[in-house]
Amino acid sequence: MEQKPTKEQAQKLMKIKGEVRGVTFKTDIEYILREKGEGGLKEVEQALEKLGVNLKYKDIKTMDFYPVGLRVLSLLVIKDVFNFSNDKIKEMGLFATKVSLIIKLFTRYFLSLQRVFFKEAPRIWKKHWTVGTLLPVELNEKEQYAIIRLKNFNLHPIYCHYLGGYFCGVLQLIIKSTQITSEETKCSFLGDEYHEYLIKWK
Amino acid sequence: MEIKDDKKEENFAVLLEDLASLETYARDLFTFLPLPVCLVSSIGIILEVNPAFEKISGYKIEEIIGQSVDSILDQAGLKELSEETFKKGFVEAKEIDILRQDKKKIPVRTSTILRKTEKGEIIGYFIAFFDLTDIKKKERELQDAQIALLNMLDDTAKGREMAEAAKNETLTIISNFADGLLVFNRESKLSLINPKAIECFKAEAKKIIGKSVSELGQIPVFRPLTNILGADLTKVFRKEITLRENLVLEVTILPLLEKKEKIGTLVIVHDITREKLIEKMKTEFVSLAAHQLRTPLSAIKWTLKMLLDGDLGEITKEQKGFIEKTYQSNERIISLINDLLDVTRIEEGRYIYNPQPFQIEKVVQSVIDFYQEEIKKKKLKFEFKKPKKKLPKVKIDAEKMKLVIQNLLDNAIRYTSLGGEVTVSLKDIKKGIEFQIHDTGVGIPKDQQERVFTKFFRAANAIRMDTEGSGLGLYIAKNIIEAHDGKIWFESQEEEGTTFYFTIPIKEEFTEFLKTF
Repeated sequence: MEQKPTKEQAQKLMKIKGEVRGVTFKTDIEYILREKGEGGLKEVEQALEKLGVNLKYKDIKTMDFYPVGLRVLSLLVIKDVFNFSNDKIKEMGLFATKVSLIIKLFTRYFLSLQRVFFKEAPRIWKKHWTVGTLLPVELNEKEQYAIIRLKNFNLHPIYCHYLGGYFCGVLQLIIKSTQITSEETKCSFLGDEYHEYLIKWK
Repeated sequence: MEIKDDKKEENFAVLLEDLASLETYARDLFTFLPLPVCLVSSIGIILEVNPAFEKISGYKIEEIIGQSVDSILDQAGLKELSEETFKKGFVEAKEIDILRQDKKKIPVRTSTILRKTEKGEIIGYFIAFFDLTDIKKKERELQDAQIALLNMLDDTAKGREMAEAAKNETLTIISNFADGLLVFNRESKLSLINPKAIECFKAEAKKIIGKSVSELGQIPVFRPLTNILGADLTKVFRKEITLRENLVLEVTILPLLEKKEKIGTLVIVHDITREKLIEKMKTEFVSLAAHQLRTPLSAIKWTLKMLLDGDLGEITKEQKGFIEKTYQSNERIISLINDLLDVTRIEEGRYIYNPQPFQIEKVVQSVIDFYQEEIKKKKLKFEFKKPKKKLPKVKIDAEKMKLVIQNLLDNAIRYTSLGGEVTVSLKDIKKGIEFQIHDTGVGIPKDQQERVFTKFFRAANAIRMDTEGSGLGLYIAKNIIEAHDGKIWFESQEEEGTTFYFTIPIKEEFTEFLKTF
């Protein structure tokens, strides 16, 4: 059983350096509205308020930058309020790729798998985050797998699940397959130097 | 010139604001667009859909984005669509089916347009769908209605063919009918005449078709017919007309009814020339035979009379009895011969009437007086009712009228049992005189009443009661009454009695004539 987010934790998270684009909050809003409706969104805002954070989701601007700590806290509160499992968090990551404005803007560059994987994926990351570096490691179209690495991104383990879904979602837009899976093979929270994901498809 | 940091920040905020507005605008446009739209990548992956697409496909956005476009389009349709799009850059209004999530096929009109980068690299293509479900439904309904209409037209054509066949059949029957047929339409104009009628009237069909009764009346050969047709073509049953010396026709006029509405008139002319000739020959034979028989019968009568009167010497009582019976039988034969002669005269039109103004009660009284003896003998309760006021004179042939009353009274007495009732009445009915004779006799059986006025007819119960009687009395009576323009009829109930009636009209000119006295 995971611990409920606390005021202290919130304050600590808010002190983490780095920023993230408002679009990541927007995709969360879409997900909550679809799953829980307007009431659900209000519940999350109220829970954040109890932690001393006054966040109005609908005021968030897609292209503006927000503290990365706020993003982590928002995700933790959502997980807590709705008692979401890690798989549900992964699903939120997958869902984000379907409705993200930045992803939509990037589709104009989705010309080939090679280009997206090696060129556009790091750019997409940079468009979202001022922290962490995305490194494409290997793309084997024959064997149908890809390895991607994420360095200097040690915000919170909840993001390990979220990003697993997110990477799957991006690949769904460039690979014609109904079975795409991702697995975090290395994790900086488990003593590794970086996060590494193995993405497979059939 | 360098922009200060705070100014940069301000510009950045404005840009973000504009970007947010642009995003909202693009989102609203895409969301409220009623036309289902999706963006497909160059390898056939659905990258973006709008809510209208969600609705038509049955998929949620998160379910369909990232899926192959194959999931909504069949291979053949997709191949054709993408090939044409990549080749031409667009597709306009192509009709295909899309497969919804619930596996239901929806007919759509599809348009596509390629999406390229600034460098001309193909990113994919947009597809817009226009739902044709309602239009197709309407089309199907229209087609069904068209088929139904064609079926109806077919049925109508068949119906018309059948009606045509039935009409031809009817015309064939009419054409080959042994009787002459003339059909007059609603406007009483001749609309059809068959060959037999043309033969009778010796007329050309094309010259008389469309003529009214009065126009036909101007053609001499049609005049005997138009005289009985009248202007309103009233119903007539078996009326004889003589067209020429050797052509006698029997005319029947019937209304042609369709659901009780008169749509025309049918005139049937039946050639009875041959029947009339045979009848005439028969009448002539009967007349000749009767005349030939009457002379010797008269001689027998007078000889028997002389014997009975003792002019030829004394005869015994027994001999007298035999001779009396012979005399009575001879009388009956003479009476029958006289009746037969009357009938032949009637049929030959030689039954001469000599109408004179006459007080009819006198004729009635004289007949009653003659039958007084018989009435007493049968102990009948007899009554003669006549109005207190003197009846007007009527123009009658007194001798013939006497014969009528005699026949009726004779029948009443003859067929009424001992002690029964016979009542004779005379009434002034303004336009004429009505004679009535009522008896409490055997009556006439219902099933034989129609034949009462025909020649030689005698009811079964009458024959059982009395073997005598020629069956000519009522036939003669009817002819005499009708020759006076009167009517004769009866009411009868078997075992209860009979009432005979006849009327003699007082004609206008005769009334005027009487006033001069």
